[in-house]
Amino acid sequence: MRQLLTLVGLSLGLASAQNPGVLTIRFLDVGQGDAILITSPEGKSVLYDGGRSEPRLQALLRQYGVQSLDLVAASHADADHITGLVPAVTLYRPKFFLNNGLAATTQVWSKLVAAAQKAGTQGLLAKDQTINLGSVKLTVLAPPPGMPRNEQNLNSVGLLVQYGPFRALMTGDSEIPETRAWLKKYPANLLGPIDVYKSIHHGAKNGDHSAWLAAVRPKNVVIGVGPNNYGHPTSEALSLYRKVGATVYRTDQQGTVTVVVQPGGRFAITTEKGGPIPANRPAVGTATPPAPVRPATIPATPAGVGTPYRSCAEARAAGAAPLRRGQPGYSPALDRDDDGVACE
Amino acid sequence: MTQDEQGRPPESLTGTLIVDAIEGGKARVELADGHTEDWPLASLPRGVREGDVVRLHVEGGDLELEIDHAATRLRRGQAQAQLDALNRPAPAGDFDL
Repeated sequence: MRQLLTLVGLSLGLASAQNPGVLTIRFLDVGQGDAILITSPEGKSVLYDGGRSEPRLQALLRQYGVQSLDLVAASHADADHITGLVPAVTLYRPKFFLNNGLAATTQVWSKLVAAAQKAGTQGLLAKDQTINLGSVKLTVLAPPPGMPRNEQNLNSVGLLVQYGPFRALMTGDSEIPETRAWLKKYPANLLGPIDVYKSIHHGAKNGDHSAWLAAVRPKNVVIGVGPNNYGHPTSEALSLYRKVGATVYRTDQQGTVTVVVQPGGRFAITTEKGGPIPANRPAVGTATPPAPVRPATIPATPAGVGTPYRSCAEARAAGAAPLRRGQPGYSPALDRDDDGVACE
Repeated sequence: MTQDEQGRPPESLTGTLIVDAIEGGKARVELADGHTEDWPLASLPRGVREGDVVRLHVEGGDLELEIDHAATRLRRGQAQAQLDALNRPAPAGDFDL
């Protein structure tokens, strides 16, 4: 009975980012892109990447009751990682903006830097340093020396999150030369084992590889992914995760994935819709996946009937256009103006 | 009609775009209105790289694209100076939030 009450209490608490006494990490469902919200037991918050849609990220921050952000981080300057940081900086005026020091030429990058200037947010060039987020330790994995400066992916900024014995790792869209350099630079016990790991580059072919995963030893992998033209996640990446025995979560299939870590390191993973991919073995160790929890505010596509249309032509051929957000088959990828109506 | 559905850019498109990222045979481009689309890399000028500004113009009914190297250099220089200024007084060593 006590265990049941604990689970109920945990589930009720998941609606808010400010859940006192625990570390909460949310891999937000932002479609094709990454956005990870980290909130310490003391209520301090970090947003690592912001996905590719301003309104989507803004809605998610409101949905999860975010009151403040202390730091935002851009793993690198690609649009599917930084667009949502614009409203995050504008609305929450964080103290710091962690970045890799390489400016992009895009309009959205200029908009983000201008928003940071206006908000009084201090730029923070990634270097090997530790940032204490209350009782949570954030270790910055700076891009190693020698990475070509014209390749944003290869200059991704990593973040190791530690709370007691619990460890999570995210490394943007790093590619093999960067992770190889990190393997040489860092001791093996810094890189792994990892309880919750963000798949590199949405499960692309050029991200995770066996030598890197042998060091990281991830128990659970979360893939930030949505409908895309790149084939993410690739069968190669999924096979790698299977080989290391990790349980895989995907934001395109399960919505936002939430990790709640208790003092002492016990953690639970819940998803907005559905469980982990059955083909993978259950997590070993301390992970306890309870029943799925569906937050109440943003209506989600009904599970099982919500496979997004691949194109508007396909939606029209099925007589389904226009598609409204929340309807089966709707996809943000088809909603070019992000007004909640696709294939207008 | 969109480029994604037909594999080629619409002919009504003129102005500039910026290459946000390249992966395999695809390039994610930022259009003048700020939206991004995935274009076949082959539809962009040969040798195009991430960050390049590409100029589009219609000539004789054909859509032509060329890398605007001067505009690319200008944007890159301005953006880097802006970021360097933002990063300048950052705290050194470990710190508390």
